[in-house]
Amino acid sequence: MSAQPAAPAASEQPVPYRATKLPDVKLLMWVFLASDTMFFGSLIGTYLAYKDRSLVGPLPVDVFDIPLTTVSTFVLLMSSFLMVLSLHAIRQNDIPKFRLWTAGVAFFGSIFLGFQVYEFVHFVNAGLSIHQNLFGTTFFILTGTHGVHVTVGVIWLVALIMDSYLRPLGAKDSVYVEIAGLYWHFVDIVWIVIFTVVYLVEFV
Amino acid sequence: MANQKHSSVATYIIVALILGVITYIEFAIVEYPQEWLGRNWTLFWLVALSVVKFIMVIMFFMHLKDDDRTYTGFFSSGMFISMATFVALTAMFILPRSVASTRPDNVVAGAASHEVPQDVLDLVETSGLSRSPAAQADSPRPADRSVQITPPLAGNDASSYEVTVPGGAPAQASGEAGASGDATAAAAAGSDQTPNEEQASEQAAGGTTAEAPAATAASWDAEAGASVYTANCVACHQGNGQGIPGAFPPLADHATAVYEAGGREFLMDVVLFGMQGQIQVNGMAYNGLMPAWGHLSDADVANVLNHIVTAWDGPPAGFAPYQADEVAAQRGLGLSAAEVHAMRADLGL
Repeated sequence: MSAQPAAPAASEQPVPYRATKLPDVKLLMWVFLASDTMFFGSLIGTYLAYKDRSLVGPLPVDVFDIPLTTVSTFVLLMSSFLMVLSLHAIRQNDIPKFRLWTAGVAFFGSIFLGFQVYEFVHFVNAGLSIHQNLFGTTFFILTGTHGVHVTVGVIWLVALIMDSYLRPLGAKDSVYVEIAGLYWHFVDIVWIVIFTVVYLVEFV
Repeated sequence: MANQKHSSVATYIIVALILGVITYIEFAIVEYPQEWLGRNWTLFWLVALSVVKFIMVIMFFMHLKDDDRTYTGFFSSGMFISMATFVALTAMFILPRSVASTRPDNVVAGAASHEVPQDVLDLVETSGLSRSPAAQADSPRPADRSVQITPPLAGNDASSYEVTVPGGAPAQASGEAGASGDATAAAAAGSDQTPNEEQASEQAAGGTTAEAPAATAASWDAEAGASVYTANCVACHQGNGQGIPGAFPPLADHATAVYEAGGREFLMDVVLFGMQGQIQVNGMAYNGLMPAWGHLSDADVANVLNHIVTAWDGPPAGFAPYQADEVAAQRGLGLSAAEVHAMRADLGL
């Protein structure tokens, strides 16, 4: 770690100390995802702790629409599939395909958000506001937080596409697409859990 | 990274197809219920399928299968803490109930060491259901004391809710109470403010004067009391007033007893100033903090007290509804939570 004063100034920049040979941004993304796991774990745990404790309606069975949510779940899963294609494309230096697939991910993500907005509006019209009962409070906090994550992901992906027009992107930059993808897949797996634990279990 | 092995596009397509199929299977299990599978196995398969999806996305789409193990390590430790939090959180809410329900000796122990009236204990133990047919025929059935709320089908207007609180009014029950030996049940049957009031009156017509209590009941707002309770008290004391054993004391089967033990002012103090210190209810120790609810209006405090004292046990003997000006006067005392706890001891509870 000690600097070598005698070394010729080939580079003025000091060599950063590294504990791993892994790219910092990717490692940091995994650490962030680990912490986000705890965040969502607490929210889902809270939802379950208060499940079936609402005193007034509407209750989940009154408002949930399983076919609709299945479609939006499927859309989100397929967006994850497009995300790996996008990463594959940029590793091949195939920028047009990278743009196409990334735009597809952002588009599917927007469809998912559209479903969520529709669902929220429908619920509120059915009398389920965030302060209506324990179900409303925990449900909106949980799925709303997830929706915010999806929104951030869509903005991130659009920014990547714009970046590809502003400067030459290539395989050397693939790690930036990769971490955006990691984030996107994480949002997807959180929804996999929510879909089962919040929606499906209600009708068993 | 260049020499790192990555899954091919073909692998991605296969994984995506499997994920899609699994999602459809999950949907089908719920949409077209499989009776032969049974509820528990259905739950098991739903959870198992979503775990498979979860792992496939992590392994293939997020590349943990082929990537450096450091990433897996970081993510797994996060997952571990998350699962621990999840289990602890769920257990915290579910365990106290199940533990308490496996200990029927709680109630009996309470009888030995605390002065809970025996008739209240009998009612707790039996819920008025296990008496002999002769005893049941001898005394009127207790009225349904659950709060019934019918939500509107559409619209978000709280005023369109129908809140039905079975009512609370002192029946002139002293005469037949002695005969039936079940004063509380008889008093509770005295009146019933549900739309079925006429039916209830007919049921109670076995010698009870149904008209007299109705006049008293009109002097406080049952609906307002229930809504204040729902907005402020339900989270801890629960909708059925049973609290959470070991964490939050019950009000049903207890608040009425406190009132009858001379705790009319004490109950106002608890709501207005809170209470801190260990108490025993039905043999269970509670050492939490009842927050002060002094920010509620005098009318709200009066209404919620009327609700608590009457909703589950029927009105206590000699009950006069709390009034707002009475609460306003009590508010002037400005007690501390510890002083309220001392008052409880003075009542001999």
